[in-house]
Amino acid sequence: MAKGTIVIDEDRCKGCELCTTVCPFDLVHIANHFNAKGYRPSTLVDLEGKCTGCTLCARMCPDVAITVYREGA
Amino acid sequence: MAKILMKGNEAIAEAALRAGCEAYFGYPITPQTELLEYMSRRMVELGRTFIQAESELAAINMVYGAACAGARAMTSTSSPGFSLMLEGISYIVCSELPAVVVNVMRGGPGLGNILPSQGDYLQMTKGGGHGDYHTIVLAPATLQEAIDLTILAFDLADKYRSVVTIIADGMIGQIMEPVELPEIEPPKRPERPWALTGAKGRERNIITSLYLEGPVLEKVNLRLQETLKEIKANEVRYKEYMLEGAEIVVVAYGTAGRIAQTVAKEAREEGIPAGLFRPITMFPFPYDRLDEVAKSVEHLLVFELNAGQMLEDVRLATRDRVPIHFYGKMGGVVPSPAEVLAEIKKIASPQRGER
Repeated sequence: MAKGTIVIDEDRCKGCELCTTVCPFDLVHIANHFNAKGYRPSTLVDLEGKCTGCTLCARMCPDVAITVYREGA
Repeated sequence: MAKILMKGNEAIAEAALRAGCEAYFGYPITPQTELLEYMSRRMVELGRTFIQAESELAAINMVYGAACAGARAMTSTSSPGFSLMLEGISYIVCSELPAVVVNVMRGGPGLGNILPSQGDYLQMTKGGGHGDYHTIVLAPATLQEAIDLTILAFDLADKYRSVVTIIADGMIGQIMEPVELPEIEPPKRPERPWALTGAKGRERNIITSLYLEGPVLEKVNLRLQETLKEIKANEVRYKEYMLEGAEIVVVAYGTAGRIAQTVAKEAREEGIPAGLFRPITMFPFPYDRLDEVAKSVEHLLVFELNAGQMLEDVRLATRDRVPIHFYGKMGGVVPSPAEVLAEIKKIASPQRGER
């Protein structure tokens, strides 16, 4: 399995939760804090390093707030 | 024309300038800010007027001034800002001037939060400010409808020389959807013999909302009421979905109406004869048509993102002749279609058991 990770530009996020519904490993969740706009942004919770960098979350994001990194790609 | 993907706030802004809005005044407030942001760029590009005012009070009074001068003027805000604008809106209505005000509602009361809500329904449809007045209130449920209604808002404001408000919410403001925009038009200026344009070669025009003589102000009020009567006769708009054979009809508007459309479809798939009645003009409210619809159904379910505000109008329309149920969420909480469907099932099940 490819290894990957994502970086979420929190201040672009409006907390719509769409990314949380598409992650095949259920690694994207809504954070407990607020961003500059006042929304709860989404965040990656990947303690076991399961993210493969499949890009589904980034493709789903209507505000282009997610950057995907994939090892060796 | 090709469809493009736009955010609700931006779509409303682009629609406004394509409708010929030549003056925009506003003050940032989430979840409406992108509208102002978009205007700050596009209005300047087009050589029109954009001013970020120092407050909502200033913004609405700038709209008042621009409208006096005959411009197609607008402002936009969110709930707390709308409360601040009410004084100015009342002045504009009394002065019989056209203006468009967009309220992208957020959770209240107070500063509340920035999530979608419909808590300003009564404030917006019953007047809200002081004195006897109503504004025309348009409720979009999709971004395409938001565009179409924004354009309509400017035309209605001109037609009735009155304030037209758009009742949107944080969801409509923030979602992105493919939309089709009309061609861009040069600023429209319908014939405005009443406008303050410098009284060269004509009688001077006076625009005011101060009438110290009782009988004079009474006459102004009677004229405003005549206009409202005309609006009620001509401008009622609504949409109906799957009402054929419907036994349970959901009454919902805006974002709630959008959710209810999915719910009605899902209910039908499960064999529950559900339908949807979605008012588009919240003022004038479609009283007569809803009363007609209610005659052939067994239950109405009013669904709103508030504690039951339109519920009052539904009861007025139907005089409680059918059982009316209510489901609402407050504080910016938006229920999933499944939660609303569960409400429908609760209503449907005892009745189904009897058969």
